This record gives sequence, C-alpha cells and structure tokens, in this order.
Amino acid sequence: MGIVIEKRLTPSISWQVASILLALLASFIISALLLKSAGADLGKAGAALWDGAFGGWRATWKTLVKATPLMLTGVAAAVAFRARIWNIGAEGQLYAGAIFAYWVSLMVGSLPALFLVPLLFAAGAVGGSLYGGLAGYLRARFEVSEVLSTVMLNYIVLYFLSFMLTNPWRDPSSFFQQSPKVVDNSLLPNLMPGTKLHMGFLVALAVVVIVHLVMTRSSLGYEIRAVGLNEKAARFKGIDVKWVTMVVMLISGGIAGIAGVTEVFGVQGRLNPGISVGFGFIGIIIAVLALLNPVAIVFVAILIGGSINGGIKLQVATGVPSTLIDAIQAIILLFYLAAAVLARYKFRIVSNG
Amino acid sequence: MGDLFQETILIGIFAATIRIATPLIFAALGELITEKAGILNLGVEGTMLMAAFAGFAGSFVTGNTLAGLALAMVAGGLMAFLMVFMAATLKVEQVVTGLALNMLAAGMSLYLFKVYFETLSLPTAEVMPYLPIPVLADIPWLGPIFFQQKGLTYLAFLMVPAVWFFLYRTKWGLEIRVLGENPKVIDTKGMSVTLRQYGAVILGGVLIGIGGAFVTIGSVVRFVPDITAGRGWLALVIVIAGNWRPAGVLLAALVFAFLDALQLQIQGIGVDLPYQIFLALPYVIAIVLMVAKSRRGRSEAPARLGIPYFRGER
Repeated sequence: MGIVIEKRLTPSISWQVASILLALLASFIISALLLKSAGADLGKAGAALWDGAFGGWRATWKTLVKATPLMLTGVAAAVAFRARIWNIGAEGQLYAGAIFAYWVSLMVGSLPALFLVPLLFAAGAVGGSLYGGLAGYLRARFEVSEVLSTVMLNYIVLYFLSFMLTNPWRDPSSFFQQSPKVVDNSLLPNLMPGTKLHMGFLVALAVVVIVHLVMTRSSLGYEIRAVGLNEKAARFKGIDVKWVTMVVMLISGGIAGIAGVTEVFGVQGRLNPGISVGFGFIGIIIAVLALLNPVAIVFVAILIGGSINGGIKLQVATGVPSTLIDAIQAIILLFYLAAAVLARYKFRIVSNG
Repeated sequence: MGDLFQETILIGIFAATIRIATPLIFAALGELITEKAGILNLGVEGTMLMAAFAGFAGSFVTGNTLAGLALAMVAGGLMAFLMVFMAATLKVEQVVTGLALNMLAAGMSLYLFKVYFETLSLPTAEVMPYLPIPVLADIPWLGPIFFQQKGLTYLAFLMVPAVWFFLYRTKWGLEIRVLGENPKVIDTKGMSVTLRQYGAVILGGVLIGIGGAFVTIGSVVRFVPDITAGRGWLALVIVIAGNWRPAGVLLAALVFAFLDALQLQIQGIGVDLPYQIFLALPYVIAIVLMVAKSRRGRSEAPARLGIPYFRGER
C-alpha cells in the first residue's frame, strides 16, 4: 500500500471548498487561543460575535449594510485578479470615487433625487475608474508594477482627501476632518422602513450580476480569463494584453469607486477619511476566499461583514479589541492559501501488488 | 525661505536624511537579498510593523533596547519564514501571500498592543541612545551629519558593502543569485533549491526586522497603530529604483530620506503650503522613479522573480 501524489491539471473545486472549511476550522482554533490569551470567556465571546453579526433583524440588516461595500471591493479585486492583474488599490479607488461623487453632489445638488442619485453612482464609478485606470496606464505604457503603483496611489488619495477636508470642503462647525452633511436629495433611499439598508445594496447586487455575465458570456470576459491563465498564449491568440490591462483596471477601479458612493451617500451622509475601514483590502480576502467567483463573493462578503459587526459587539461585551477580527481575517486567508494547495494534487491509495 | 540655507539648518536636514534613511536601507537590503533568490516578498510593510511592535514590546518588558532589537529580528525572521514556507514549499501565489502577511501584521500588532499594553497609561519603552564617534564627531559639517547618529545607523551604512560582498563575492551569494536567475542549475547539481530560498528569505526578513526595530526603539518611545506608515512599501520601490544593486539601493534610500527630511524642515519653518503635499510627495516620487526606471533600459531584475520553481519543469 502506498499513496501516490499526482499534480492535477485544474484544481479540484470540491477540494477548494474543503480547504476553505479547513482554513475556517484552523482559524477558529487560533481565534480561541487569542481570546483565551486576552482572558475572555469563550462562550460569551462567541455569543457576542453571533449577536453582533446575525442575532436578530437589526443585526442582520446592519450586516447587509456592511457587506455592501465589501461585495463591491470584492468584485473589483476578483475582476483584476482573474486577469492576474494585482490591483491592491481598491481602497484608494473607493476614496477617488467618493471624492468625485461628492464634488458632483456639490455642483448639481439641486437636482431631484431621481436624477441626482444615479448621477452620483456614475460619478463614483468614473472617479474610481480614472484612478484605477491611471495604474493600468502606468503598467501598460511603462511596465510599472500595478502592485506598487496602486499602493502608492492609496496613500496619495488619502492625503488629497485630508487636504480637501482641512481646506475647501471643511465643515466649519466640526473639530474633525469632515465635510458638512450632504444635501438630502443626494442620500440613497432606504429599501425598508425602520432600517438603514440603503439602495446601494441592490446596486452592489446588480454589479455582481453584470460582472458575472461579462466574465462568463462576453468576449471581454474570455480575454480577461485568457490573459490570467497565460499571458504569452493570450498574446499569441491575438489578444491585446495592454488593452485588456487598461480595461480591467478601469472596470475594477470603477466598481471600487461605487463603494465610495454607497459609504458617503448611504452610510455616513458626509465625506470623511473614515468612510472605509480597510474595505479595499478586505475585498482582496473576500475575492480570494470566494475563488474569484462573483456570486460566491456575495455570500463571503455577508459573512465577513457580519464578522466585522460581530467584532464591534465583541469589544463592547467582553473588552476584547475588535482588531482581533482583522488579524483573524488574514489568518483565514493564509490558512486557505496553504490548504488550497491540496486542491492542486490528487491523492490515490494504491497497492503495490 | 532664506532661513533654509543657513548652515545649521542645512546640517540638520542632512543629519535627518541619514537618520531617516536607516530603516529604509535595512528593509530594502533585506528585500534585495529576498528578491535575488527569486522570491517577491510583498510583506515587507507587515514584517517591519511586526518587528517594530516586537522591538517595542521587548524593550518595554526588559528595559533593554538590545533585547528589543533581538526580539524584532526574531519577529522579522518568523514573518519571513511564513513567506518562504508559502512561497517555496507550498508554491502559493506570492503576491497574495505577501498581502496576507501585511494584513496579519496590521491586525495582530494592534491586537496584541491593545490587549497587553494599552491597559497601561501611555506605555513608553526605552529608546536607543545616540553614539557619537570620538574624534570624527567633532569634524565640522561631516561630524554632526554622519558621526553623531545611533549605532543602527552606522550599521545600516556598513551593511551596504557587506551585502554587496555577500551577494557578489561569496559562494552563498552566488547561489542565491542563481536561484533568482535559473534555479534548475542548483537543482541539477543535487543542491536543494528550497533550503537556499529559506536561507535567503529569512536572512532578508531579519534585516527587514532591524529596519522595523529602528522605527520604534530606534526613534520613539511609543508604539502607535501603523507606525511603519508605508516605509516597507517604499523599500520595495527602493529596490526597483536601485536596480537590484546594493549601491543603487543606498542611493535611492537617500533620495527618499532627503525628501522626507526636507519636508520636515520646511514644515518646521512654516512655509505656507498644505502639509499634505509633503506627506504625499514620497509616494508621488516613488511612482515617478518607477516610470523613470522603465525608460533607463537594462534591468537587473532577477529573471525568476515571483515565479515558483517546480522540479521537472522546462
């Protein structure tokens, strides 16, 4: 008897799912150890986490609100990663979208909501698109690594925002760096009375569906996947890799920019440096854990959104810092990456007859 | 603006340049060794951050900055171990792994700090002392700029020729460079590719860790969230701008450090410009440097950077 290990040509989906479960299990054990080390009661901590995430209707719609930008940044990362373009800049593109949309709301804020709200979504998409496209252009034209340029652009946009909020856009009545409240007719309408679940949630779902269709049904989707599978082969087939790079960064940035709109006009009601708490980076985790599949991203984003809200409840209830959740998310990702290796191999038990 | 050109202010700017360059040089040299071995470690920022925290914690607990430094080096080595285990043994996508390490460090350092330190009121740790070098420190101009610094700063500048010698004049260095160009050569000689990658990446991680330690116990008494503030990412840019050569890395690190020192001084004098411009400047320069780099032609980038090695491949 012996075990033969063979490499698979394409990773097995069932093993990939199994490796996610394995990663979750391992991460739960580490979380438990970390909670123990902080002197927390495990049962109490678990209950608080669940309570904050999905315990009741109020917690659930709050989780859906949190999941909204995460779905968008997750899809933004997935589109780029599918082409093996490492857009780390969803965070910055989210801010670029928020800034551009806020500027538009100042220009044409008197429009009725029926026209203004769609215009703001478009503006956010344009802002994010331009910012992502800049990194795409640098990559296509000058071979500047998009990983590094998008990281640099993340920093730059935050300082730009800080400048705008200390000078021209500052709320004079506030001590904090933030803009005044946005005009009422620019606020995203609520989907259900008694909740703060806003229209952005439906927009995010629509984006997911559109991206899914584009990726699976269109020639652009085919080209994106071809570039991701093998750039050389794609070029050989006559695909313009530079053009695909540009388009992917425009799309990816645009989707992230929409997340900026949902946060400014759906959640905060004003522009401030805290509209994203690392949504752009968490989107990367979500995209990878969802195997870059837009539909799976919806569910992973809801789970992660729940864990963020659960973490806040955890801090209130047990005093354990909510940053635990950030660490755990990274640990899940690392375990998943390690466990997913299993999906690349076939294990067969053979008898040496 | 006339004040800017006074002697004491100029000396101040240059001395600050040398000080600010210190963590950048360590981190960029560490990443240089790592990349020469064909591994793209995007987790520099996280590695520095974890080491910065470890340095603070070690110095706080023992009251000894050398113990803090040792702990920071261990933290750097451990983060690098994670990186190389994923990259060389499991052959996982290196970009995603590096990002995961950054997120791990951001969450974990803050969690540990809040659990163990923030309960105390304003915890402060011992900081490394200045070590003026006798005689040399008294030379006008050069003395205050170069020879009234901290021990780690002198070490950083000594590390540049040392890393050059290691990479280009020793057998180990040659093997590391071959890993980044054509690992099959190592493999067909019956030598372990993986083992050498572990050696190079962990050595690099320890250097990055020293850079991280300088950010806390080399400079300030406190630890704050995200204290490394993008220095790890700049180190990655410095390696590119320095064209993967130790001397180039030194030059690029000094350029970034000079800009940072200049903006500190200009802010201090109170020039009427938004301070955000100066804070954003290093990142703008980084992009400009990368664009300029692409036009300069011949790149010394390792041919196999970021590509895992599978035995039996063609």
